[in-house]
Amino acid sequence: MDSGNSLTKDNLHKAILGANILVVDDMQLMRKMIGMCLERAGYTNLSYAEDGDDALRIIEEDMPDLVILDLNMPRMSGYEVCKALRASPKTESLPILVQSASETAEERVEVFAAGATDFVSKPINQPELMARVQMHLENRFMIRNLSDFHGHMQRELSMAKEMQHALLPEQSLISKIEQDAGVVIEAEYQASFELGGDLWGMWPVDEQSTGLFVLDISGHGVGASLNTFRVQATMGRYKHLYHDPAAFLKSLNDDLVESFPLGQFGTMFYAVINFETGDVTYAGAGAPRPFIIGDDNIRTLDSSGTPIGIIASATYENLTDQLHKGESLFCYSDVLVETPFSGGDMLGEDGLRDLVMEHRKNGEASSLVSNILTTFFAEIQTSLPDDLTAVAFHRIKAKELEA
Amino acid sequence: MEYRIENNAGELLVNFTGDITFTQNMTFRNMLKDVAGQSAKVCVFDLSNVEMVDSAGLGMFLIAKEQADTAGWKLQLAGAKGHVASMLKLTKLSDIIESAS
Repeated sequence: MDSGNSLTKDNLHKAILGANILVVDDMQLMRKMIGMCLERAGYTNLSYAEDGDDALRIIEEDMPDLVILDLNMPRMSGYEVCKALRASPKTESLPILVQSASETAEERVEVFAAGATDFVSKPINQPELMARVQMHLENRFMIRNLSDFHGHMQRELSMAKEMQHALLPEQSLISKIEQDAGVVIEAEYQASFELGGDLWGMWPVDEQSTGLFVLDISGHGVGASLNTFRVQATMGRYKHLYHDPAAFLKSLNDDLVESFPLGQFGTMFYAVINFETGDVTYAGAGAPRPFIIGDDNIRTLDSSGTPIGIIASATYENLTDQLHKGESLFCYSDVLVETPFSGGDMLGEDGLRDLVMEHRKNGEASSLVSNILTTFFAEIQTSLPDDLTAVAFHRIKAKELEA
Repeated sequence: MEYRIENNAGELLVNFTGDITFTQNMTFRNMLKDVAGQSAKVCVFDLSNVEMVDSAGLGMFLIAKEQADTAGWKLQLAGAKGHVASMLKLTKLSDIIESAS
């Protein structure tokens, strides 16, 4: 069975006719009768065992898709065969169709307790036996097909996830910028599903300046993640505009607007930070408003703007601020302010500002992001409903740098 | 998210309640089909009972806007407050989709 093919009714029927069915009965007549019955129905891959020992040996050598099992046999009974098969991980879900002459309610209970999948009574009603055989084989093939498909998807997603993580800045680049610029960089990225629609990145612009962007594609999951690859690839075409946030966003938008599907877009914030002077030049495309956090005040940066990928006529504006020594620039994705906390209310921008101030006052300034996220994850009721990005540049004071 | 459509002599008013987020994609598309079926000239989305809209929700407004432009009806937003109002402002969607006066 091919894991990549979906099962139609037709190829499912073909597949089960090739299924390996083991008939276990101590009476040759019964084996013959059941075998003929199966052959007449079109089953081609039959094997036979005379008793329990024989059955277990055959199953060990060549795993069947279904066992039709007699209960009363010499040496090893059908009950014992059931129990032995259920005790082994290899055969714990193998369908076992038990046939027996005695018909008491207690016996049926015992049969199922021993691990049988289903029960037919003797004398065997042939159409009933065939209907049950067909049903159990169909179930088995469909489940196998599903779990093959599931495993296949899981592997594909893991690979794609690794590729997406490779889009994020490497630790070596982070360390280099930390050293060159005298900053501590904290960054957290988590997709709500294997793949996500968030991305952040940074690059040196000139000897004194670093560019930093955060991007959030609308929606999440596979579709959104494909768009992060698209945006990442397109950004590389505008390296010559890295120093000019508004022009960079405009070019990115012009380039992407045709290829973005209707209803999908990316909110973005891009800033160029000069670590000699502390000058910050930035432009927004509808990303949540970043904070510049000092000891006793928080400034909100105006990141409003048309998200990337909606309309061709969108324009962007460069704004400026200052990141003084000792201050932190904090960018985050909307999930941080839009996820309901245990009380039922979402944090909102005001709530996040309060939380940031509280952690700034009571914790280490350079572990702000990790402290905020600790609170966030303790408070949210559900698993992460959307992708999360939180990035902070902590500009270290001169004396801390020397220390 | 739930919605109720009122038809006031060819002018539609869609009252939304609850959050408009990623998970409401199908409901929203059904709503658009209902709206399209009524061939009105104007359709107002009343957002006064909506507490929050996420980026996927904003994307759905854009789809509605596109559908309106293509089919020749006018889409207007009304009553946005709190988080919804700030999202429309932040993303400048209020420049793209008209507000009902």
